[in-house]
Order: sequence, then structure tokens, then C-alpha cells
Amino acid sequence: MNFELSDEQRDIQRAAREFARGEFDPDLALELDQSRTFPESLWKKAARLGFIGIHYPEEFGGQGLGLLESVLAAEAFCSVDSGIGSALSMVDIGSEIILKFGSKDQKEQFLIPLAKGTKRMSIAFAESEDGQDLSSLSTVSERRGNEYFLRGEKRFVLNATLADSFITLCKEPKEGWITLIVGRDREGIAVHPIEKMGLRMIPFGDLDFREVQVDLESRIGNKGEGMAHVQHCYQVMRLRSAAQALGTAQGAFDRALGHAKQRAQFNKKLSQFQAIRHKLADMAVDIEVTRWLTYKSATEYDQGKIEPGFLSITQLEAGRRLVRVVDEALQIFGGYGYMAEQAIEHYFRDAWAIGVDLGTEGELRDRVAERILG
Amino acid sequence: MLYELNEEQKTFQKKVREIYEREVSPLVEEYERKETFPIQLFRILGAEHLLCLRCPKEYGGPGLEKVSECIAVEELNRICVGIGAGIMVQGGLATDPILHYGSEELKRSYLSPAVRGEKIGAFALTEPDAGSDASGIRTTASRQGGGYRLNGLKTFITNGTICDFVTVAAYTDPAKRGIGINLFVVERDDPGFSVIKKLKKLGNHSSDTAELAFDDCYVPKERMLGEQEGGGLGQMEETLKSGRLTYGARSTGVGQAAFEAILSYVKKTKRQGQLLSKSQAIRFTLAEMATSLEAMRYMTFRGAWLFDQGLASMKDASIVKLFCSESVQSIVQKAMTIQKNSGLRMDNPAQRYLCDGRLSKIPEGTSEIQHLVIAAGLGL
Repeated sequence: MNFELSDEQRDIQRAAREFARGEFDPDLALELDQSRTFPESLWKKAARLGFIGIHYPEEFGGQGLGLLESVLAAEAFCSVDSGIGSALSMVDIGSEIILKFGSKDQKEQFLIPLAKGTKRMSIAFAESEDGQDLSSLSTVSERRGNEYFLRGEKRFVLNATLADSFITLCKEPKEGWITLIVGRDREGIAVHPIEKMGLRMIPFGDLDFREVQVDLESRIGNKGEGMAHVQHCYQVMRLRSAAQALGTAQGAFDRALGHAKQRAQFNKKLSQFQAIRHKLADMAVDIEVTRWLTYKSATEYDQGKIEPGFLSITQLEAGRRLVRVVDEALQIFGGYGYMAEQAIEHYFRDAWAIGVDLGTEGELRDRVAERILG
Repeated sequence: MLYELNEEQKTFQKKVREIYEREVSPLVEEYERKETFPIQLFRILGAEHLLCLRCPKEYGGPGLEKVSECIAVEELNRICVGIGAGIMVQGGLATDPILHYGSEELKRSYLSPAVRGEKIGAFALTEPDAGSDASGIRTTASRQGGGYRLNGLKTFITNGTICDFVTVAAYTDPAKRGIGINLFVVERDDPGFSVIKKLKKLGNHSSDTAELAFDDCYVPKERMLGEQEGGGLGQMEETLKSGRLTYGARSTGVGQAAFEAILSYVKKTKRQGQLLSKSQAIRFTLAEMATSLEAMRYMTFRGAWLFDQGLASMKDASIVKLFCSESVQSIVQKAMTIQKNSGLRMDNPAQRYLCDGRLSKIPEGTSEIQHLVIAAGLGL
């Protein structure tokens, strides 16, 4: 077993950290979070430097590297700012489906602009209030001639007001479940924004489709493959969420550590109090566990042998430990931790949003139980 | 032993719930969103005799005991923690020291108007460099003519931008660390007093929190609490004890709100075709929440009862605060996570309960400080 990152992986990590530290201005981060604004110029910069679509093949604008490298970049970004980092990591959600199931034309048409930072992509799958339950879907896409006509509602769509296209899960009466690439400029799409407590730089919304017309070439892959596309997409998203969780936990810890070393009360630095030292120790343990589970899951994915049960373990631990770490980090800041001026305040809120993407304890424990019990 | 509220207390509970639902509930959404305190509530609740609940009748107060105060605090925090915070300070730290150590003149000028909601009070101890270490404050009160000149900076002050008066802790004798402190009543119009800025927070949005500055702020001697210099922290001791006990009720209130909301949610929400309430794991979680709430509520009432008997030690109060503020976290967290993305929505109170509940581990002694107080109380 080799637990060392390769030189190339270390380079990506270093480059991502340097970029984030140099560019993610703390005041800008606060302002973007408060005003619920997407980090446009940072996104463009990140894309120019090759940080978007790291795992796309080079012919489609990527670096030809693996998901692990993407994970390293997302981790570095989120450790410098949870909001900006997450926004940059989620700018091409859905691209996984085109990558794995799309035609060469679709890859050229959609992946290249994503990697270039000229377009954004998102997914429109769930129709439930919680944004994740796929058990009751009613969006239909009726095929008439060489066109599909979409009718339905999608809930809790990421980047609803910004994505240039949405990979949309729908049912065609004869074709079964399919995914369609739906451009936001199509007539008949209405967006209803939703304000969230965390990850405020990423706009969310519900989408209404009313007789939205898309051509045949918008369908990805084959008839009846829709659910397989969705499952694949979720797998990659979960890995990315784990990376965001890891980075966010790291960033919260880094700040708490810095504060503990510098802040004094009772004529001692906080870092000299055993209780604080133990908190920091617990946080460090949490981060290490999350790190190695995430890296292993990403490596397995890149080796083509990801096991969903193990990924569920990663999600479960990443989520639990993220909450613990940001909570303790906020506590170390005392009253200051509760103030919006401090980054840890939005780290706390962002952590909860990232946690939702990772999944509930109940569902994840169900999956781990299945893995154990069959 | 108090195992059940008596008839009078039950009637009071019903009454306050009705009043808060009528007067406070309609304001919550707007004032939380605007991150502003609805100051009209001082007069409204004053008129209902629901401010400064333990203030004796001789000063116009309701003259209630701690148990009833905790009933009211739980009910108010169930509706909105932020609004609850402003109301609590009015009847707690801002006025309690005046009640116990102030002259009759001070009580007439500040306590009674506070009871009626005609004046809004605040309390200023914490400074940028002195949070847990209260003795580490640096605000000084130097003798000048017939009074004192205050110089310093205070932060995290509830009701800071809206107060008519603020009870301020300052060193009259900085050489005596922890001992040479006094409490003074400063009025908003006193020259040298200013509000530096309003502070934006993670939660408790409707609670007004600010940084205050005292720049050669002259306070006449009559507005010092007590005749002697020194002993200010001691003057806060009973109030701190009382406030820590009340935190039990605050935590229980927000926990109760989160619990009621999630109970309703699981009864009507299906996932994967099944009602959430049928999931064994969800049932376990709700059972745990219910268990926690019972424990929190009874810890609080027992602490309040001890206080009313004059038997509550600071250790007792710290145990209540520590237990309740920590227990509520799991309740508000799980109530959020069960709702997934819908829990994150700003128009869903779940995220407000989470962020509001999160505060309770910090003020009036962080959980870490409570641990130390309890340990000290064990004679260790």
C-alpha cells in the first residue's frame, strides 16, 4: 500500500493552495457570502489556471488527471474559504454524466467551455422537497419527431440561476428514463430562487419546465439509461462533497489553531489550557480520518473499482466529523465565533450545507448495513 | 420537591404563551430577516406586566419567583430566541444589580421604567480582550469631580444600539485585579458614550448586539451601584447565577420549538415512499429528543426551585447551564438534518433553531467555564 501522494499530486495540491491563499481575499469572501454572490472572477481565474475539470481528458480541456487530483484541489480551496472553495468545486456538476456516457460531440460541446470557465453546468434530478428523494418523479419528456418536450418541476437545483445547462432526469413514455442536456435559455423554463443558510455563494432554486423543447442530440447516451447516469453522477458528487467537507474541516481547524495560539485569557494563551489542547487534538484526529477515507475512495474511483458501501462509510464519517470540527472550532473562538466578521461563522453554516449533500446518518447507516449484511 | 407546576404556575404558563403568540410571533419573521429588535415589544410586554419578572412589586414589578420566570423564558424562547435575549437582559443583568445594590433613586430612575418598558436597559462587561476572563477588563472609572470618568470599549452587548441606559463594569482601582471593579449606570445621551457598531451574528438575528465605547464618559457618583469602591464582580454574582439557571429555560424553549417542528415534519413527510415516522431510526432519534427535553426542563425547574429557596449555589446554576446548553445542540442539529435541503431554507425555522441554539454554549460563561466552575464547586 502506498499512502504517499505522487509528485504530480503534490504539485496540484501546492498549486491549488497557492492560488487559493493568494486570491481568496477574506473580506471578499465575507462580502460574497453576505450578499449571496457567486465568485465570478475567481471562477474565471481558476478555470484559466486549469483547476476546473482537472479530471477531464486533455482533448476536452481538462488535465487528464484523476478524481483524486480534483479532490486535492477542492480540499485546498475549501480550507482557504469554505464558500468560495465549494462554489468553484460545484461549477460543473453533471459533467460526470457527459464524461462517462456522452458522445464525442457532447463532450466537445460541453466539457471544453466548462474547463475554460465560460459555462457552468448543473443537474436537475430530484422533485422532492428535500431535494434528494428520487422515489416519486413526474417530469416527462415526450418525444415528438426529433424533439423532446419537457414538462415538470425540479427541486433544489444547484446554481439554478447561473448554470448554462441542466442535466435533467426525465421519463419518456417509450424510451424510459433518460437524461437531457437542457439549456437555460430554452423557452418555458421558470426559476424560483431559494435562499439557503449555508453555501450562500451558490444560488439554489426550483425549476419549472413547461413544454420545454430540446433536440434529439440533447439526450445523453441510450434510452432507459437515465437512472444509471444519475447514480454515477451522485457517486462523483459524494466524493466532491467529501473533499469539500475535508477542506472545510481543515480550514476551520487552521483558524481555531491560529486563534488558540494567539488569544490569551487568564494570562495564558488558550493553547496552554488542556481542555483546548484536547479539543484541537480531537479535531486533528477527525480530519486525519476524513482525509484517508476520502483519498482512498477517490483512488478507488480512479482505479475503476469504487465500492458504494465504502463510499458510504466515507460520507458518514466526513459528515459527522465535519460538524464536530467546525463546532469545536467555533467554540474556541468564543463570542467571536458567533460573529459574522469571523470566517468561522460562515464555515459553520457552510458545513451544514455540505453535510446535507453527504447524506443523512440514517440513510448512510442503512447503506453500510447493507454492505455488512447483504 | 417540585414535580409539577402548581395551578397558579400552570395558569401563568397558559397566559404567557397566549400573549407571546399574539404579540411576539407575528414579528419574528420580519425582525429576524431585518436583524433588528422590535423595540415596541418593550412597551407592549411592559403593559402586560411581563418584563423584569422577578422585580418586587414595591418597584412596580410582577414579583414572580424564579420558577415562573423560567416558565416565561421557555415560552418566549420557543417563539424566538433573539427576541428573548433582549427581553432577558432587561430583567436580568441590566436591572438586577440595580435592584440589589442601587440606591432608591437609581431604582426609581431605571428599574421601574424598565419594568414598564419605558426605558430599555443593557449590561456591559465583556471587552474585546476580556471574555471568559472577566477580571481582565480594562475599562477604567477614574474619579473626577463628583463622579467618575469612564474609558474603555465593550463588545457583544445585547440591546447595545437600542438601550436608554447601560449598566457598565469598570475598574475604579485597576491595581486590585478582579476586586477593584464597580458597576455604573450610563445613559445613552451621556457625552463620551457611543455605539461603535452593530454586530452581525450567526443567529439570534433579532437580538441587537453592539460594540460600545466610553471616551471620557462622565458618570455622576450617584450612578455608581453601592457606596464603596470595589466589589463589582461580586454584585453580579447573584445575577450571573440567576442568568445561568435561566439559560436552562432558554435552551429548553428552542429545543421544544425544534422538537415540535420535526415531530410534525416526520408525521407528514414521506421518503422513498414511506412516512419518516415509521422509520425505526427516526423513532429512536425523536425518543432521544423527548428524553433530553424532559431532563432539561426538570433540571431547569429544580435549579429554579433551589434558587427560590435560597439554596442554589453557583455550581448548581452551572450544572443547569452546562447540561441544557449542551443537550439542546443535538436536538436542533438532528431536527435540521432530518429535513435535509429543506432544513437549510431560510424560510424554514429549522436553520434558525440551529443557529439560535448554537449560541447557548457561549454567553454568561462558555461551557468550558461552566466545567471549571463545577469542578471548583466540587472542592477540587
